[in-house]
Amino acid sequence: MRQLEVALIGAGLIARLHLQAWIAAGAAVRVHSDDGRAADLAREFGATAVGSLAEALDGADAVDICTPTGSHHGIALAAIARGVGVVCEKPLAATTAEAEEIVAAAERAGVRLYPAHDVRFAPAFARLHELVAAGRLGAGSVARFLVSAYHPRPWTGHASARSGGILTDQMLHGVDLAYWIFGDVVRVHAYYQGEIATPAPQGAVAAGTVVLTHASGALSQVVARWTATPKPPVRVAFHVSGTGGTVTYDSEWPQEVRVVDGEAGNFGYSGELPFVSEMREFAEAFAGGPEPRLGARDALAAVRITQAAAESAWTGRAVELPIKEVS
Amino acid sequence: MKVAVLSFAHERAETYVRLLRDLPGVDLVTADPDAPPGDPARGRALADRLGVTYLDDWDEVFASMPDAVVVTSEADRHVELIERSGEAEAHVLCEYPLATSAKDVKAIMDSCDMGGVRLRFASPAYFSEAFAAVRRGIAEGVVGTLTTVHGSYTTRPGAGGGALRANLPYLLDLVDAVLGGDPAEQVYAQTNEALSAEPGVESAAVVAVRYRGGVVASFDCSHSLAADGGPAVTFVGDRASVEYDACPRLLGGFDAATGDERREPGGVDLYSVMVKDFVAAFETEQGNGPDGAAGLRAARIVEAAYESARTGQPVHLGR
Repeated sequence: MRQLEVALIGAGLIARLHLQAWIAAGAAVRVHSDDGRAADLAREFGATAVGSLAEALDGADAVDICTPTGSHHGIALAAIARGVGVVCEKPLAATTAEAEEIVAAAERAGVRLYPAHDVRFAPAFARLHELVAAGRLGAGSVARFLVSAYHPRPWTGHASARSGGILTDQMLHGVDLAYWIFGDVVRVHAYYQGEIATPAPQGAVAAGTVVLTHASGALSQVVARWTATPKPPVRVAFHVSGTGGTVTYDSEWPQEVRVVDGEAGNFGYSGELPFVSEMREFAEAFAGGPEPRLGARDALAAVRITQAAAESAWTGRAVELPIKEVS
Repeated sequence: MKVAVLSFAHERAETYVRLLRDLPGVDLVTADPDAPPGDPARGRALADRLGVTYLDDWDEVFASMPDAVVVTSEADRHVELIERSGEAEAHVLCEYPLATSAKDVKAIMDSCDMGGVRLRFASPAYFSEAFAAVRRGIAEGVVGTLTTVHGSYTTRPGAGGGALRANLPYLLDLVDAVLGGDPAEQVYAQTNEALSAEPGVESAAVVAVRYRGGVVASFDCSHSLAADGGPAVTFVGDRASVEYDACPRLLGGFDAATGDERREPGGVDLYSVMVKDFVAAFETEQGNGPDGAAGLRAARIVEAAYESARTGQPVHLGR
């Protein structure tokens, strides 16, 4: 089989993780970034650096957009216009209108569009979805999703508090999972706390508290936080209940290997990274394999729900979300 | 390569048949001539249901010249089947429980050595990448000097007979790998039948082992009414400890369908990893897993543990 050609746009932390994963999935990658960091990143992983977006897209099977959110729209539309498939780091776009435009363009052009919602590839969430899809939770009743993390770098960009600021990225994980498990969301209420506009300092603290009402009547409570210290760097927990029982998870539960009463040093084992499972699944789809576990519709839903949450937090009103299909 | 699954007596036989059937490059044959006639879960009925080739007796199997065999028979047929496999120059992957005595394990080992074939015991946790990381970490000094080991493997009451014989080998294999084959010097064990339905068959055993190099290990091998886990072992050194759990809880909760705790295991499918390793080893001449000598060391400890439980005193193992 011919090697998949991927144009990776951006050279920051997410680009690095995606690049590693694409190489593990057997793809050939050309990297472009307009911040001058592409060459170093490409060299480190034996990829190619190219000088322009056009050069990157030329002959590529797919683009992987890992730039700041504000530039996703322009790059995605350029790729779609050339018939190049799109993988896009979350959120798909800064506004619902831009996200809708990207999804509509992709559908018109018949171009595959996959958002990089990596948490769907983490074993705990993938297994939760399998259980729910197999009917082992019965009809969904209520869920809580708790996601917190420490942001190890200063926040760049100019996202207003009104747009959700630094909480958008964190909230997206939780609402995407709630939507994946319980389906369409029709009403959103949110309280956002903290200095959430960007730029923001490393370790900026904030909390978003969201209540989702699903079309089925099921309810989700999502609390997304940025914490003051990296102890732990990331914490995720959920509790989902339905007529078939409950499913619970806490990332603090020990998995296969753990070092205690001493220093772990570099020693550790975490299994396959979700990014690798994710890019392998996307690569197979681009090569004509089965459709991956998420697509354009999910990207759009996640943007709609997070933007509704930001709007609710700003206005103090619950926001109704009409269920609408992409035209 | 041709692989034969010998007997469907073991509860895992079907797992092997499915995994081998789906592996590219494997020509699978099966046989289960000792099956009770008419049992729909055994013999030709099972082979037909799984869509795999079925041969009527052992002679046919060995005449078909398998390159490797998986032994999933009753334990008391291990010696006979593995002797024939050695003569047929077929590599062997043997399920637990082991042949009934250390003497029998020695016979198995010798017949494989004579045939020049590889003998491996089916200890799935041994094959995981996570356990390889544990071995590497300890070898690199993460825990400092290893002094003490404790572990447990608890399973629901049911098939497999006594909990000591059924569960201890899996734990011993992990420790044996980390200790590089250091033999046991002394073994102490106590057992009871608190959860046993069968008189004289233990449902719990606590076993303490002192190895020649001075490491002390203790193991809980028991039946439990709680949801199944896998073997779990903690390696304690003078600087840190490493905990290895072959089958940790990924998800918990409550399952209304069973009225019981929900337990979704984490980690990878270790049987799949083990079978792939065993098949790949045919090409690479390498391959992971406890070998005949490790199986013999484990069998000696199991035997000594039963003796200690009987006498109430530690048992010394000679050289």
